[in-house]
Amino acid sequence: MTRRYWNINLEEMIEAGVHFGHGTRKWNPKMSPYISAKRKGIHITNLTRTARFLSEACDLVFDAASRGKQFLIVGTKNKAADSVAWAAIKARCHYVNKKWLGGMLTNWSTTETRLHKFRDLRMEQKTGRLNRLPKRDAAMLKRQLSRLQTYLGGIKYMTGLPDIVIIVDQHEEYTALRECITLGIPTICLIDTNCDPDLADISIPANDDAISSIRLILNKLVFAICEGRSSYIRNP
Amino acid sequence: MAASTASFSATFSSLSFHPHLPSCLSSLHPSFAPKHPQKPISLRFKFTSINANSSDINTTFFDTTDPEEIYTFSPPERPEDFVPPPSFDEGPFESEDEIAKAYEELYGAAYSGETFLGNDVYAMNSKIKKTTGFGSKAKKEKVRDGFEERVVQVRRVTKVVKGGKQLHFRAVVVVGDKQGNVGVGVGKAKEVIGAVQKSAVNARRNIITVPMTKYKTFPHRSEADYGAARVMLRPASPGTGVIAGGAVRIVLELAGVENALGKQLGSNNALNNARATVVAVQKMRQFSEVAEERGIPMEELWK
Repeated sequence: MTRRYWNINLEEMIEAGVHFGHGTRKWNPKMSPYISAKRKGIHITNLTRTARFLSEACDLVFDAASRGKQFLIVGTKNKAADSVAWAAIKARCHYVNKKWLGGMLTNWSTTETRLHKFRDLRMEQKTGRLNRLPKRDAAMLKRQLSRLQTYLGGIKYMTGLPDIVIIVDQHEEYTALRECITLGIPTICLIDTNCDPDLADISIPANDDAISSIRLILNKLVFAICEGRSSYIRNP
Repeated sequence: MAASTASFSATFSSLSFHPHLPSCLSSLHPSFAPKHPQKPISLRFKFTSINANSSDINTTFFDTTDPEEIYTFSPPERPEDFVPPPSFDEGPFESEDEIAKAYEELYGAAYSGETFLGNDVYAMNSKIKKTTGFGSKAKKEKVRDGFEERVVQVRRVTKVVKGGKQLHFRAVVVVGDKQGNVGVGVGKAKEVIGAVQKSAVNARRNIITVPMTKYKTFPHRSEADYGAARVMLRPASPGTGVIAGGAVRIVLELAGVENALGKQLGSNNALNNARATVVAVQKMRQFSEVAEERGIPMEELWK
């Protein structure tokens, strides 16, 4: 796997606050290799390792994108929801930024039914059939449509299971991670000091509370995906 | 984490988890020292004590992959014309149409409901299985993908609720081709047929391979238990046939084993006995595997 330069510098990361962890009491002892110090009751992650893992994750993502694989970005914290959507749209990936419905991947056939319903509702809205129905029915359908839009809006272009899943906070998205593990889908995860690094395939120890740190890491990954995609377009 | 990376590298070719860094033990974090006054030497002392205590456990894994190996981060050199890309919300603002077009180029129309490039919007309709109408009962897949199904047990189970008794059927099914692959599955439904189908789906999900010798029998004896069911399996000479009771016999027959002896020693619960035979079979090793693992020629094993 080729190692490329991903513009990861430690000063940038410190500025964004990537090195902060959670409080000392809430830590997971499996994270001890990645914690470098304890300051004011907060664990500080070792940024060299973070940088190393981040560059490996970027390499992997670049490789996969240059082979035309499909990605899914999962991040449901309401602070990070917008950045996740922006990042995924920029990178042309699927994303889930509102609640991760249980069984979205393991029960893919049922999710497909919902996607079909979503598509049919969109078609009806476009052709204007909704205006001809009585007001109550139209209101019900519109409500359903908006609900499906919030939950499934990011995966409406997904035809099958994704090949790589990027998860923003392991603690919050535990169900999503579990599903990927049972299905055998490789995962890249942002790990904080209270998470388990052995669950995901590549875990990047970073701060998942600050929006700036999530945005920084998403930036790098999105850049990697875009580069991979462009090289895939040039020579499929 | 290394186990998962091993399986991970199977999916994508050659993921080198530890690229060749010079182990700079002498120069710790030259770029890092001014920022973190507490050097990680204290951390390393903590680690040496942990390693010393765990010398009795066999941790040969840690001899080759040391978690402390990642000392410095030495990325490849920055190319001269590298322009840091804009952050994703500062870049050129794209209208919704452009975004939709870009997505459609990559993935096709999928479930979006609109096309810009002229793809068929209803492309995904072929995936809907008709539940009613003309083509609904056309082809019930009887013998799909070479696996034979056999029902071990169907029971009527009850859940008592305020309104009365709710009846379901629970089916235990064993699925196998006669070439050494078997799986046991359970499924519950309100109708027998539905339950059998669900259990067949479940069985196909957990299939194991049975190590068999040339004469269609086991390499050696094995015992295993699952719950309160204990099963003993023993190889037999050719011409014996499968001599075992209920669930065990069905599992062995569908695995393709022709000569074996089996006994249910513990409870006679059908599902648990089937699962116990599966566990017993998983414990078995072929002679060639053991010889490779131990690094000795096979003749030594027969002494």
